[in-house]
Amino acid sequence: MVKFVRVIPLATKVGTVTIKYPFEKPLVTESFRGAIEVDPSKCTGCGACTRICPPKALSLIVEGGSLILRYFVGKCIFCGMCADTCPEKAIKVTREFELASEHIYDLYTDVEHEIITCKRCGTKFVSKKLVDKVRSKVGEPLDELAYLCPTCRRIEMLSKTLIFR
Amino acid sequence: MQVQQIQPDESLGRGALEKALQRLRKSVWVFHLNTGSCNGCDIEILDVLTPWFDVERFGIKLVASPRHADVILLTGPITIKTLPRLIKALRGVPRPRLVLAIGSCAVGGNIWFESYSTIGGFPRIMDTLHELGITIDKIVFIPGCPARPEAIIYGVAVLLGLVEQKSQYKRVKA
Repeated sequence: MVKFVRVIPLATKVGTVTIKYPFEKPLVTESFRGAIEVDPSKCTGCGACTRICPPKALSLIVEGGSLILRYFVGKCIFCGMCADTCPEKAIKVTREFELASEHIYDLYTDVEHEIITCKRCGTKFVSKKLVDKVRSKVGEPLDELAYLCPTCRRIEMLSKTLIFR
Repeated sequence: MQVQQIQPDESLGRGALEKALQRLRKSVWVFHLNTGSCNGCDIEILDVLTPWFDVERFGIKLVASPRHADVILLTGPITIKTLPRLIKALRGVPRPRLVLAIGSCAVGGNIWFESYSTIGGFPRIMDTLHELGITIDKIVFIPGCPARPEAIIYGVAVLLGLVEQKSQYKRVKA
């Protein structure tokens, strides 16, 4: 009984601690990591983020005539490794956490890339943006090999060396 | 004398569900179900129930039995061992049967999405539940690893239809 009475002055001193969350801003600090955001103008579709992602929340899919970088928030563990790895700095970690949704498909975000088909065998293998970027860096020697898939590129190089001999 | 057959798998219509939710708007009792979670999300659920967040101001109360509950707070990627218990617990919940899948594990399986010992998220057992005649009237997925207490409160608000959900499917051209 006496112990209970002792609580009353303490409670009046402390006051109310409950935060009024829906009516006031949540306690989100500077270092908080939420859902990521892919900048479509910077992204080249190289797939570095898909390799580093531990739960494979980011994935590259060939769908019809386009290469799709698919981000599924439902699998994301918010580690921010994709943002560190991205060579173009296209991925930004936002502080968005109110992601609740009624349908699972609302949790997907797609970035659509134009895909290149191999000149020789016709397989779809890499995004156009990435080839353009690599060509701008490497220049002349890659011009004829840029639009061939890795397998065809090997055959091309081998046949060239054999002719020279 | 004709005996009316009770069909347990008869799904509620859209209007009927809205009506049931109207009745639920007064207060929601929740049951916490851990299906092999790492305890991160469970700690966040406990956080929600503490005086700091105090969800009892919305009438949300934790109960000890699924038979008393309106909403199941499901955490974890559903391991093979917990699956029969999960089905047993879900069968005990009265209609409308609402589920709140909390955390990345319950939504998509997290890093255990292709493990041999887990199902890999709640969406993957939806067909099994349908075959067993257990209808889930409404599910809300709350991503987060772990989901923030605020995110859980927001998820409950989406479940009860108090707010419109923010996240939408986006497809942008690069």
